[in-house]
Amino acid sequence: MEQKTLYIKLEKNVEITSEDIFLKDLGSIYCEDDNIVNKCKCIKIGKLRDVNSRKIISVMKIIELITSQQPGIQVENIGEPDVVAERIEREKTKKWKEIVKISFVAGISFFGTAFTIMAFHNDIGIIKLFNGIHTMITGVESNGYSIMEIAYSIGLTAGIVIFFNHIGGKRITKDPTPIEVEMRIYEDEVNQTLIDSADRLHLEIDTDK
Amino acid sequence: MEWLEILQKIFIAIISASAGFAVSGGVFTTLIVIGLMPRFAGKTHTAGHIFFYEEMVVIGAIFGTIFSVFYPFFQFYKWIGNSPVWETVYIILGQLFLCLYGFFAGIFVGCLALAIAETLNSIPIFARRSKFRHGIGVVILFMALGKSVGSFIYFLKQLFVCGGM
Repeated sequence: MEQKTLYIKLEKNVEITSEDIFLKDLGSIYCEDDNIVNKCKCIKIGKLRDVNSRKIISVMKIIELITSQQPGIQVENIGEPDVVAERIEREKTKKWKEIVKISFVAGISFFGTAFTIMAFHNDIGIIKLFNGIHTMITGVESNGYSIMEIAYSIGLTAGIVIFFNHIGGKRITKDPTPIEVEMRIYEDEVNQTLIDSADRLHLEIDTDK
Repeated sequence: MEWLEILQKIFIAIISASAGFAVSGGVFTTLIVIGLMPRFAGKTHTAGHIFFYEEMVVIGAIFGTIFSVFYPFFQFYKWIGNSPVWETVYIILGQLFLCLYGFFAGIFVGCLALAIAETLNSIPIFARRSKFRHGIGVVILFMALGKSVGSFIYFLKQLFVCGGM
């Protein structure tokens, strides 16, 4: 019999709603033989008893389970060597709860940045500074509503909009925005930390050999 | 002398617009590098709405700029007429707004302060040197309490006036 190769691509992080973890939850699988794919999809990897509990699963355990069920098969992993599986509630968390959370974070973002920029302006004494520059150039004191303040505000707004790359729900270019990039980096770092500390404490689901 | 004045105005406009550009670049790069928004979004499991949060950052920054740069113009209490009913409504709304503003700005600044300390790796180094294994949560709690007490003393003793002396 010709040797078959099963390709699996594990995700970094998966969210599971049921108690049992099946191989199909952890990534995508491909093999020439559809029968093998269907059998492998239903291999049980482990259990997550409580909601919000986590398990870190090594690809070695998955290879062990596949080869014990399909002897002689060759398994190739294209994706991650470890996968973090987290159990979440079956129903989406309550709508109002999510709205409260979102408005809370939105409030911090809005008032926090407003405060930061106001504190910065207060620190450098912007009104005095503007007055000084205005007097330096024109020779007369400004009344506080000169072209300077207007141009500064326009410049600052333009800078922010170009930096964050969107305004009013519309992207200016198709690139991801800086916070989206930062979000991915943060998630990757959290995942890596989970995997590393599970490895250190031997909590990872791995082969016993 | 008309043209000279126009030239001056154009010059002022150019330097202030460039200043605004540079300030927004500097201040917001720092805020992004520290990465507070991803943390809030991650903690509340609302990473799907990160775009909305970013929008709030943009709008908040614009409002903050306008209010602090045109500070003499925005004296809201002067806009209220002499009607006593409006005055009461204004006072209630004003206190409510101040409450919200202070609360959220406080959370933000508190997170910012510790996030900056963390960027400089002070906590991991401290934990390693002091051979702490489990007490790090208590240390963080006491850091937060210390900041809170310090903040109260600062405002109660009015340390912002000549260092309180």
